[in-house]
Amino acid sequence: MKSANEIGFGEVAVIQDVDVSHPSSRRILEIGFTPGQEIELINKSIFNDPLAFSVRGALIAIRQDEAGCIKVL
Amino acid sequence: MTRRTSEAVPLIALVGPPNSGKTTLFNYLSGQNYKTVNYPGATVEYSISKLQSKFNLKADVIDSPGIVSLTPVSPDEKVSVDALYNHPKLGVPDVLIATVDSSQLSRHLFLIKQLIASGFRVVVAVTMVDLLNKKGYDISTSELSKQLGCEAVKIDGRTGKGIFELIRQVDKVLVQSRISGKPHLKPYNDISKENLLNIYKEIEKIEEAALVKLNSRSSGFDLTSANSQLTVLNTAITKRNGRNKPDEFTLKLDRILLNRHSGLLFFFLIMSALFTSIFWLAEPLMELVDESFAFLAEFTTDALGHSWYSDLLANGIITGTGSVLVFLPQIIILFLLLGLLEDTGYLSRGAMLIDKPLSKIGLNGKSFVPMLSGFACAIPAMMAARTISNKRERFLTIFIIPLMSCSARLPVYALLLAFLIPGEKSWIGGLALASIYILAIASSIAIAALMNKFNHKIVKEQDTSSFILELPAYRMPKPSVIIANTYQSAKLYLQKAGPVILTFSIVLWFITYFPDHNPQVETEGLSEDEIVLLLSGERLANSYAADLGKLIQPFMEPVGMDWRVGVALIAAFAAREVFVSSMALIFKVTGDEETLQQSMLSAMRSAEIGDTGQLLFTPTTITGLIIFFIFALQCLSTVAVARKETGGWRIPVLQLVMFTGLAYLMMFITVNGLRFWGIP
Repeated sequence: MKSANEIGFGEVAVIQDVDVSHPSSRRILEIGFTPGQEIELINKSIFNDPLAFSVRGALIAIRQDEAGCIKVL
Repeated sequence: MTRRTSEAVPLIALVGPPNSGKTTLFNYLSGQNYKTVNYPGATVEYSISKLQSKFNLKADVIDSPGIVSLTPVSPDEKVSVDALYNHPKLGVPDVLIATVDSSQLSRHLFLIKQLIASGFRVVVAVTMVDLLNKKGYDISTSELSKQLGCEAVKIDGRTGKGIFELIRQVDKVLVQSRISGKPHLKPYNDISKENLLNIYKEIEKIEEAALVKLNSRSSGFDLTSANSQLTVLNTAITKRNGRNKPDEFTLKLDRILLNRHSGLLFFFLIMSALFTSIFWLAEPLMELVDESFAFLAEFTTDALGHSWYSDLLANGIITGTGSVLVFLPQIIILFLLLGLLEDTGYLSRGAMLIDKPLSKIGLNGKSFVPMLSGFACAIPAMMAARTISNKRERFLTIFIIPLMSCSARLPVYALLLAFLIPGEKSWIGGLALASIYILAIASSIAIAALMNKFNHKIVKEQDTSSFILELPAYRMPKPSVIIANTYQSAKLYLQKAGPVILTFSIVLWFITYFPDHNPQVETEGLSEDEIVLLLSGERLANSYAADLGKLIQPFMEPVGMDWRVGVALIAAFAAREVFVSSMALIFKVTGDEETLQQSMLSAMRSAEIGDTGQLLFTPTTITGLIIFFIFALQCLSTVAVARKETGGWRIPVLQLVMFTGLAYLMMFITVNGLRFWGIP
C-alpha cells in the first residue's frame, strides 16, 4: 500500500484508509477523503507541494505531508 | 448591531460549506441592503439583514463564514459554529437555510447531516444545478427531502429562481416552530472516525437516490451513462461516472494556471495586472474628484471673502475632505478587482501556489488572501487571517500585514511622487510606485523570516501547520454581487474614515488658525494676494500648532525637516491619509491653481525651513518621507484590531514600536545617506 503523495499524474487510486494519528486526519475525512473513494492527482504546486487531488467531484489542495496519511491502492 | 428586543421577528441563519453559493443567496434575500462586516477575500464576521419585503415574511437573516463541519479548526469557522448554537447578540436561530452545491452533493451533505443530527430545523437550498446538469445529472428535491427528513428546494442565486418557494418552506417551518418553541440543540460531539465514515455511507445512499441521470441525448454523456447503467451494482466502477469528475473546463484551465512552471508566471502576471490597473484606471477619476474640490474651495473663498469662517469652510473642511476623497476611486477599483479574483475562483489557487514559499518564512498559503486584502486596508485583512488554523502562522500574518501598502498610503505617495517627478513623465511615477510596493513586500518577507527565526516569544504555541483548501470550479464572475460588495466596502470605508478625517481637519485648522487669528502685519506696497500669504504665515508661526511643533522639532531636525511636517506626521496617526489634508492645511493651500494637488505642490516647493532660506522639501526629504510611510504603523484602528484579533497587547505594541522606530531609522539613513552623496 502506498500513500496519496506517492501517486503520479493521471493515476487513479482508491483510498484504503486514513491514518488517524495525523493531526489533520479528521478534516481530511470530513472534506471527503474516505475509504472507497477514487482520487486522482491533478496538479502539483511549485516545489511539488501542495498537491491538488480530485475527490468526489471536487478539487482539494493538501500538503504532501497531509497526503501522506491517506493510504491508497 | 440591532439587539432583538422581542421574539416576534424570527431569525433565519444561512449556513453552508465554502463555495456553496451561500453569499449569493444572502445578497438575494437581503436585497443587498445589509449591515455588514463583509470584505472581499472572506466573509469574516457576520452580516445581518431584514428579509426583503417582497418575500412577505418578517424575519432577520444572518450570514457567516462557510464551514465544512460542526467541528471548527480555525477561528473563522468557530465564529460560524458558535453563531449557530447561540448567536452572542441574536440568540438561537429559529431556522437554518443550508446551501448545498448539487454538483458537490456528497461532500456538502456532510454538514447537513451533522446539523440535522444536532437538532437544527433545516431547509436545504440546492444550488448550482446548472453545473450538475453539465455533468449529465439532475437532482430530485422530493427524493432528497424524503431521505434527509427536511425540505429541499432548488434555487438559482443568479436569477432568483426558486427563492420564493424556499421562503415558503422556511415560513412553514417557522409556523411549526411557533407551536413547538425554539429547537432543542445538542452539541456535535461524536467526531470519531467510525461516525464520520457512517455519515458518508448514509450520504452515498442519499446521493444514489436523489441524483437522476439526464436524458443522454441532451447531455452528451452517452458513454459514461451507458457504462454506469450496466454496472450500477458495482460501486467501485459507478464512482467513475461523470458526477464524480471535476468540472472539465476547470481541469483544462488549471493545467495552465496551476502548472508548476507557467502557473507561477501567470500568478505574477495577474498580480502585476491587479496593481498596475489600480493606478491607470483610477487616474482620470481621481483628477475629476480633485478638480471638483479645488473648484468648490475657490468658489467658497470667492463667495465669502477672507474671514475665519470662509477659511474654516474652504481650508478646513472642503480641502481637508477633498484631499482624501480623491483616492476613493483607487479603493473602489482595488475592491472591484479583488472581488473579481475571488468570484472567479482564482484566489484559492494563488494560495496554493505560494503555500510552500510562505511556509518557509513561517506563514501559510492561507496568509495570501489576508496579505492581498492588506493592500486595500489592514483592518479587514487582519480579520481575514482568521481562516488560518495554526495560531503561530495566524499571528505572524497579522504581524506583517501593516507592511502591506494599504490604500490609505496611496494619496500620500501620490502627493510625494508628484513632487519628485514632473507631471509629463507619469510613467516614471508608475514605476516609482511599483518600486515602493516591491520594497514593502520585500521588507515584509524579510521581517516575517526574521521574526520566525529569532523570535519565538510572539507566539509560544506550536500547533501543527496545515493547508487543506478546496479549489472551486472556475465560474463567470457575477457582476451584481461584486458591485454590491464593493459598494458595501466603499461605504463602510467612508463611514469609518470620513468622520476621523473631518474631525482632524477641523481640529488642525483650529490649532493652525488660533490664537493669533488676526495678526498685525506691514501691508504697505503689497498686493492683496501677498497680504493674504503674509497673514497666514504669521498666523501659523504664532499658532497652537507651532507650540506643539516645538516639541517635535528635535526629532525632525536630524532628518532635515521642520516641525510643520512633524505635525502632519503626528496627525497621520489617526489615519495615514490625514497627512495629505494636514499638509494642505499647514501650508495654507488655497485653490489658485487648477487642482488641489498643483496648489499644494507649488506651496511645498516654496516652503523654507524657518528663516534660513533652506528649502524644506527637496528630493532628499521627500524620499525620506516616502521611506517613512512604507514602514510606519500610523493607524490607530489597525492597532485596535490587532489587539482584538490576537487577544492581547503584545503584538500591537511590538508592531507599533518596531515599525515606527524602523520607519524613523530608515528615514534618517535615507536622508543623510542621500545628502552624503551630494543630492539636495
